[in-house]
Amino acid sequence: MKNANSDIRRALYEAPGPRARRRIVIATVLSLAAIAVLAALILRRFYVTGQLDRRYWSLFTSASTWRFLGEGLWGTLKAAAAAGAVAYLFGLALMLLRLSGTRALRWIGAALTELSRGIPTLLFIYFFFLVAPKFGLKLPTFWKIALPVAISASGTVAEVLRSGVNAVPKGQTEAAVSLGMRHSAVFFKIVFPQGFRFVLPALISELVIVLKDTTFAYVVSYADLMQNARVLISNYDALLSVYLVVALIYILINYLLNRLSVFAANRRKRGEAFNE
Amino acid sequence: MSIRELISQFGEKYLAALVTTYKLTLSAFLLAVVLGVVITVFRLSPIRPLRVFADFYVQIFRNIPGAALLILLVYALPYLNVVLSYYAAVLIATALIPSAFCSEYLMSGVNAVAVGEIEAARSLGMTFFQTIKTVVLPQAVRSSVLPMTNLLVATMLTTALASQVPLNPTDLTGIVSYINTHAVGGVTAFAISAALYCATAVIIGRVGNRIDRKVRILR
Amino acid sequence: MSENRSALAPLIELRHVDKHYGSLRVLKDITLSVHKGEVVAIIGPSGSGKSTLCRTINRLETIDSGEIVIDGEVLPQEGKKLAELRAQVGMVFQSFNLFAHKTILDNVIVGPREVLHTPKKAAEEEAMRLLKRVGVEEQARKVPAQLSGGQQQRVAIARSLAMHPKAILFDEPTSALDPEMIGEVLDVITELAKDGMTMVIVTHEMNFARRVADRIIFMEDGAILEENTPEAFFTEPKTQRARDFLNTLKDRDK
Repeated sequence: MKNANSDIRRALYEAPGPRARRRIVIATVLSLAAIAVLAALILRRFYVTGQLDRRYWSLFTSASTWRFLGEGLWGTLKAAAAAGAVAYLFGLALMLLRLSGTRALRWIGAALTELSRGIPTLLFIYFFFLVAPKFGLKLPTFWKIALPVAISASGTVAEVLRSGVNAVPKGQTEAAVSLGMRHSAVFFKIVFPQGFRFVLPALISELVIVLKDTTFAYVVSYADLMQNARVLISNYDALLSVYLVVALIYILINYLLNRLSVFAANRRKRGEAFNE
Repeated sequence: MSIRELISQFGEKYLAALVTTYKLTLSAFLLAVVLGVVITVFRLSPIRPLRVFADFYVQIFRNIPGAALLILLVYALPYLNVVLSYYAAVLIATALIPSAFCSEYLMSGVNAVAVGEIEAARSLGMTFFQTIKTVVLPQAVRSSVLPMTNLLVATMLTTALASQVPLNPTDLTGIVSYINTHAVGGVTAFAISAALYCATAVIIGRVGNRIDRKVRILR
Repeated sequence: MSENRSALAPLIELRHVDKHYGSLRVLKDITLSVHKGEVVAIIGPSGSGKSTLCRTINRLETIDSGEIVIDGEVLPQEGKKLAELRAQVGMVFQSFNLFAHKTILDNVIVGPREVLHTPKKAAEEEAMRLLKRVGVEEQARKVPAQLSGGQQQRVAIARSLAMHPKAILFDEPTSALDPEMIGEVLDVITELAKDGMTMVIVTHEMNFARRVADRIIFMEDGAILEENTPEAFFTEPKTQRARDFLNTLKDRDK
């Protein structure tokens, strides 16, 4: 991605002549100044409102703060991992329905996929939190957040898996069938593994969405990173600093997940180049 | 509670909620596209600080959870003496996050333009802006139709954040919790909202697909 | 008198052109003149710098030192002046580079419309005439991806002709084509040569170069090693390197 971006940029702006070079230098200096001014203004805001005060930030020097945030993060990661796993399972099931030989099953698969993709996660959360208990469906707190997040992601997982399966060349199926393999064996042993490899990067990216959605855990009072942040805030009376740090933690983890996805994509591309 | 009872009691509220969700979705989407275009221009520019700034912006807003961003805007900003209305906070949160994704889609749209075609335009004697106007933009826009359709749906789903702050009228998600705390709306209240969201998403998807089929570039 | 002088002065002139990629010197002190109506074929092994040389002439590649003069004007480094000079020199690429989102007709009229501000009707009439000349007028309403490579390359030639260029640069125009399509493109170029178009052609097609070119430039390792008439070059090349190059080609053809 990075390389492609610089390629297209080089193509958009041809090698600069002396006048263009001068303009770029001036614009670079001006934009640096503008960014510096912006940063200074923000910092000044923090300063004049007293938010740079030691008492808002000193809590981050104590190990217990980080241990507590770490516990919250562990809760977040557990919920995200469970939701991710269930989303993959549901997604697989939805995809199999959509690819089934029976028209009615295909239709159900498509409808459920659209429902999953067209309804906000929060609405699913409210369903399991407010509506389901009235029908006697009482989930443990953990699943009250993990299950709706999983359901909400499963539709996209199904579509991603389906696009992977569709990307596998038809010749693969034909070759396997001509070897006398059964239809289901062809799918699970030949087609699906290849399709899965195609879309592994997209499946990893989907975890970012799952992890982000677990921040709604406070709705059901599950102790995740966000929830523990609230406890810290009421203990230390340091709302701004704690929420900023917590937001940064989320951003960092998701950034790393995205890098992992890019890494998987590059590895696959390299593998292809090698095979050729 | 039956659908009929629910509608007679909460019908107007539902309509208002639908309008709130649509209004938020459209205004956040437009804002996101404008921001996304600006950020993309920055990311493609020969001016390095702008590129670094824009890359940073994209990483922040594509990775921050919506709830975290909304909480920062609603509860943290007042500590800096910046007080936003609830509506403004929701609008900003639901625009900033899609704007980062919008820029990612536009970047891949621009990247899909063949370098050779830009060289060909230049060889015909076109200036930078003529090349952008006749070759780069038309192709980038046409290959962004499907991602933009998905972005519009994603923006709509993000507006459910509105249910997390007191808004009057509330949005399609907020009304489910409202009805469930004021009456025994049960599954019906949920089903109506879900159906409205889902129908909207399906319609957007269909329209997007149709436009895409019309303008897709054969390569 | 002045007419006389311009007829004698070269249309394209490279003086002591040098180019580096880091420590690699890809063009070494290139000096070359192309006169009006002349067809110059540049040949040489791959990696010899012949494509790079061709692309420097309209500044798709920059040079580090030396000078490029087109019809008496030094090639500017940027701005409107550069665009104006580029408009006067056509370019045909190895990979055609037709605009994927435009129809064949629009590909041919976009240059005249945008750059020369030709009225739409006139541009379209001329485009149809040119498409007919290169034999693809029936494809005018299609998009590039619906055409064969040979057809696309002929459209690309029509696109550059539509600008009424003083000269056309061909950067390996048949290297990306299936063998059965090479002929149709070379035929179009041969016709242009007969009509007196000034052309610089980077090519691997030796028979074509021998038939069409007025002069052969042989390049290796970024330098011009030999400049000769086609007859002399292909029958008794002056340099050992050129002999070796021609021999490897002969061996390959056997």
